[in-house]
Amino acid sequence: MTAPVQAPVSLPLTGRPATREEKLTALALWVLAFAALWSTEAAVGFTRDESVYFAAAEGYSQWFRLLLHSPAQAFTDSAIVRAWDYNHEHPVLMKTLFGLSHLLFHDTLGLMRDATAYRLPAFAMAALVPALCFLLGSALYGRTAGWFAALSFLLVPRQYFNAELACFDLPVAAMWLLVVYCFWRALESTRWGIACGVAFGLAIATKHNALFMPFVLSPFALWRAWQVSEGVPEARVRAVRFVGLYAAVAVLYGLLVVFLGGPAAFQKKFLLLSPHTLFFVGLAVGSGVLLRDLKHVSLPVTRALVPLAAMAVLGPVLFYLHWPYLWHAPVDRTAWYLAFHATHNHYAWFYLGTLMRGPPFPLTYVLVKTALTVPTSLFAPMVTGFVALVGRALLSLSARTREWVRMPTASEALVGVNAVTSILIISHPQVPHFGGVKHWFPSMTFLGILAGAAVARGCFAVWEVLKARRPSVSPLAVTVPVFALLLVPALLGSVRVFPYGTAAYSELAGGLPGAATLGMQRQFWSSHVTGVLPWINEHAKPGARIYLHEVNGFSFRDYQRNGMLRPDVRPVNSPFDADIVAYQYHQEFREHEFLTWQAFGTRTPVTGLYLDETPQVIVYQRPE
Amino acid sequence: MPSPKALRALPLVELGALLLVALWCLVFQLRLPGRLPTDADERAVADVLARDARPGDAVLLFPWWTERARLFVPPSVPVYGWLESDGADLGAHPRIWVLGQPELPRSDVGAFDAAFLPGRKALNPEARMGPLSLRLYENGRYRPRHWVASEAVSAARVYLEQPDGSRRDCPFDGKVHRCPGPPHLYVAPEWHEILYEPRHCLWMHAPGGAQRLVAEFANVPSGMGLRLEGGIIFEFAHPKDPRLSTSYLGVDDAATGERLLNVPIPPGREGVQKAEVVLPPGPPRTVKVWVQADNAESRQVCLDVMALEPAVGVRP
Repeated sequence: MTAPVQAPVSLPLTGRPATREEKLTALALWVLAFAALWSTEAAVGFTRDESVYFAAAEGYSQWFRLLLHSPAQAFTDSAIVRAWDYNHEHPVLMKTLFGLSHLLFHDTLGLMRDATAYRLPAFAMAALVPALCFLLGSALYGRTAGWFAALSFLLVPRQYFNAELACFDLPVAAMWLLVVYCFWRALESTRWGIACGVAFGLAIATKHNALFMPFVLSPFALWRAWQVSEGVPEARVRAVRFVGLYAAVAVLYGLLVVFLGGPAAFQKKFLLLSPHTLFFVGLAVGSGVLLRDLKHVSLPVTRALVPLAAMAVLGPVLFYLHWPYLWHAPVDRTAWYLAFHATHNHYAWFYLGTLMRGPPFPLTYVLVKTALTVPTSLFAPMVTGFVALVGRALLSLSARTREWVRMPTASEALVGVNAVTSILIISHPQVPHFGGVKHWFPSMTFLGILAGAAVARGCFAVWEVLKARRPSVSPLAVTVPVFALLLVPALLGSVRVFPYGTAAYSELAGGLPGAATLGMQRQFWSSHVTGVLPWINEHAKPGARIYLHEVNGFSFRDYQRNGMLRPDVRPVNSPFDADIVAYQYHQEFREHEFLTWQAFGTRTPVTGLYLDETPQVIVYQRPE
Repeated sequence: MPSPKALRALPLVELGALLLVALWCLVFQLRLPGRLPTDADERAVADVLARDARPGDAVLLFPWWTERARLFVPPSVPVYGWLESDGADLGAHPRIWVLGQPELPRSDVGAFDAAFLPGRKALNPEARMGPLSLRLYENGRYRPRHWVASEAVSAARVYLEQPDGSRRDCPFDGKVHRCPGPPHLYVAPEWHEILYEPRHCLWMHAPGGAQRLVAEFANVPSGMGLRLEGGIIFEFAHPKDPRLSTSYLGVDDAATGERLLNVPIPPGREGVQKAEVVLPPGPPRTVKVWVQADNAESRQVCLDVMALEPAVGVRP
């Protein structure tokens, strides 16, 4: 933190290379975040999804063994389906990394426990977020903003918790940020444009959220191309041709759907040698030809458009290549995957005293949930950072007020739009609302940057005032106490709730007790059961039958594999078959606790996990 | 136009506001541990209850979710706390101990009092054990019970009854009255959830079609209220699927066939449904408690019927 306070930097929509110092800082942040996640992960339980991904990763890694020993067999569809069919509702980039990491660090080298080996790639991906937040924040708003964005991200308890998991929500947030960063840097270098396409391919191979990215980034690319082609008619003509190519291909695909008789027929006739493939190849080749032609006329216009072509071409190609399950039946299996998420079922979710079971969901849900879960000392600068950006944009629209403010740059608009995109998507009343806040993590990285901007301009203003009186005053004299006051409450809250991240609530909610009184979801995903496993290990009789409510069979097995649950105890699926029941307090599952009363003939638990008084996991033991 | 000075001051104002918020957050985080009870506080409450609670007393939690107390309260004293329990009558209990945590964030004592106090009178001053508060109330909503179906079920005669009056018996095996047919066709007192509320009630799953599942009880007292309380349990009450059918819960006079109580529960109606009739004075009756639903799918009924006096009210 050598120059933590700088005047906010004003830039148009152009990238800027990171300085050597910024690169080193980003690297240090990555290492720090990775080390923090690794050193604390052992306490974090296995969420329902995570154990499924462990199992999937293990199966996928078996395919790589087969690939080594019998490559010809490995490439057959039957071998691929046998290994890759499991959990094919998600692409496999992360699960493959989990599996290979497990294969190397646990199975081969024996360096670490089972779960840690699976989780390492997730830490590596999550650790990218602070590093990239710093790079982008620093470039747009100065180092102070970059530092604040980087440090604050993992001090949001739910974000830290998710960063510990071998899941996809933090990785896709990291990938989203990486794509935007590459896109932004692409405006200074064609290579970054290609990188943007590669990053986008990896992003959609991480989780389906990233499929929305082209809709967010294309307007910026086109606007940039239009802007820099002004006064260069040859370039503008070529840029229009480029857009025309994409529009024509879109129209052709639309006509194909119509002429073939609808989406089902379109899908059925999408073969290797078909108009469908021809259009895509035409798009790829046409893009290359047009951009090559454009490059001779205007490099800036070319740079503006390269990311679009790279995303359009490299995205689908990488998506196809990364997922062996698609290799023999790309169209049908991709269509199934997309349909699965387009028609995802709804889970019960407790929100402000109401158990939501299906749409329409409240329009304000995402905003309220964010306000009640992000530490308030971090949420407040996000709000002022975003409001200030929007305010400046609005004031810039009128000639009367334009002089009052500095018009937001296109780069700032890029950050602002990405800050709200995921939030707006999930806010749609028909979109499934479950999983806490994880589905809009991609927005949180950008909100963190805007929070950094808000803090940075305040620090700068204070420093200017102080400097006028004492010119020798160090910027650190301002930033250190300001950072401390803003970050310490979040750190205290994080430490307090760790490792039970899905129970975290902010000061605005009144912490966990306040949220319980407000009628918010107490917890979810079953991982808090770790809070009662030591009691079960100590008190269960040999071979006891244990009903870990909400904990799936994979997780039960993983707790035993990782030495967190005694190997002699056996899982059962009902309180009536159990000697010990660990009930997970969910509003929608109250019946399960009352069935335990019925089965055991008692309403008195023997122990439980109570966080700040809120019941999370309640344990009953069958009376002897 | 705002002055340049004012514009320059905006970031200072913004940061000042952010720091005030952060300061408040810091105070909140530092104060929170002190607002939570220790095990010693809970044991002190348990000691009072073990010493002073009478048979028939109950504990009501405030806020409703502070269930850690269950670990400590003597098992002989039932503990109540569910969403909306603040306003519950708890009509089986003449006295209620309110175990509160008024210092917890967002604990709204005023809202609790507004729901709880009507018909109740404090019998002693509030005791404090750390952040826990304990106070005993006379429950004016108490209704003395002279007969409860779920407590008399072992003596009931249970059968499946066709519209033409023909019956198939559901013999009592010492625990449940088990009917011919699928395994869920039986009658027994069980714990179930009806819209988050724990109910110890008679499991009486509708058999489907026109036939009724009937539990026939003799010696039901007259000259007081006969009350039916029941509902569809768990998540089965919520769906409004048109394939589901209305469940009918009722009580008939066995001798005359008179319909004494009738509660229809259409798909989507959640919560405990209640109906009451005042029986004229006379000799004890035999009543038929029954359920029926054309389509038995997801019609998991739990109910109870009781003969009650009016609420006792509070003594001045």
